[in-house]
Amino acid sequence: MNHMQDAELAALAQAGDRESFGELVARYAAPARRLARAILGDPDDADDAAQDAFLSALKHLGRFDPERPFGPWLMRIVANAAGDRRRRRRVREADPLTPGLAIREAGPDVETDRQRFREALQEALAALPERQRVAVVLFDVEGYSHREVGEVLNIPEGTARSDVFHARRALREALADWKEWRERS
Amino acid sequence: MEGKKLMSHPSPFNHQPDTELGEALQALLTADGEDRFVRTVVAAADRVYGEAAPAQTLTVLIQWARPGLVAAMLLIALGAFSLGIWVGRTGAVAEATLGDPLVPNTDQPSVPALMAGDEAPDWDVVLAAAWGR
Repeated sequence: MNHMQDAELAALAQAGDRESFGELVARYAAPARRLARAILGDPDDADDAAQDAFLSALKHLGRFDPERPFGPWLMRIVANAAGDRRRRRRVREADPLTPGLAIREAGPDVETDRQRFREALQEALAALPERQRVAVVLFDVEGYSHREVGEVLNIPEGTARSDVFHARRALREALADWKEWRERS
Repeated sequence: MEGKKLMSHPSPFNHQPDTELGEALQALLTADGEDRFVRTVVAAADRVYGEAAPAQTLTVLIQWARPGLVAAMLLIALGAFSLGIWVGRTGAVAEATLGDPLVPNTDQPSVPALMAGDEAPDWDVVLAAAWGR
């Protein structure tokens, strides 16, 4: 099962082979959950969205083109599922990734410092527009190309490239501020 | 340190994946419980497969129905044709063998009929009638 291509697994899963679908889920669980979390912030909501996306993908496997890579196709479904959930949730509660959580006081040790860094990164990520957030995660974390990022976001490759660029710059600037603050403390 | 390492590679112009930023984001976004998540999704997928099963069965039946109906009609037609031939043949035989034994052959008068006349019959005719039976 491990040696099989995504397209083969997708075909088998569509034909009713649960094991093949399970293998696809195992392969893409981590990136799907990360992408959903980048959009939603809350881990539980992200898992719910990722699950919705996998089930939606299963229902629509007939629309997957086996000549093209499975990952971007699935990530697009994940991004849509997470985006829908975020829009529904917007009126319900505050986003856990809302800026303002980080950089409170200096920690006494490395672990605390690491935690503060994570909070700063989280805050900077949350401050990005959703599309830039998705773009930088897909490109720098998941290793997709600009073209594939564009496919996931349904935008031209050049726009995807621009989104990655602006996201990186914003993250760097925010983290530089964090570094400056930490050195003063 | 994670933060210092990240700050050492600040160019956003690089068109290659930024591994340092990528690793930091990955650590931030990766959640525990991946195995549990996979099990949950696969279990939920069983419901999807369950919903799809009747539709798939119906689809298979519909797909089968057309050639099946055609084949059934051909079989019925062939059967009817064969039955017709058989009935035709057996009917002809029956007609030949089940002729009414009480109806005399008009070409050959029976021996009793010849003997019932007022005059003595011609013995050649009687012998011929008897021989013909």
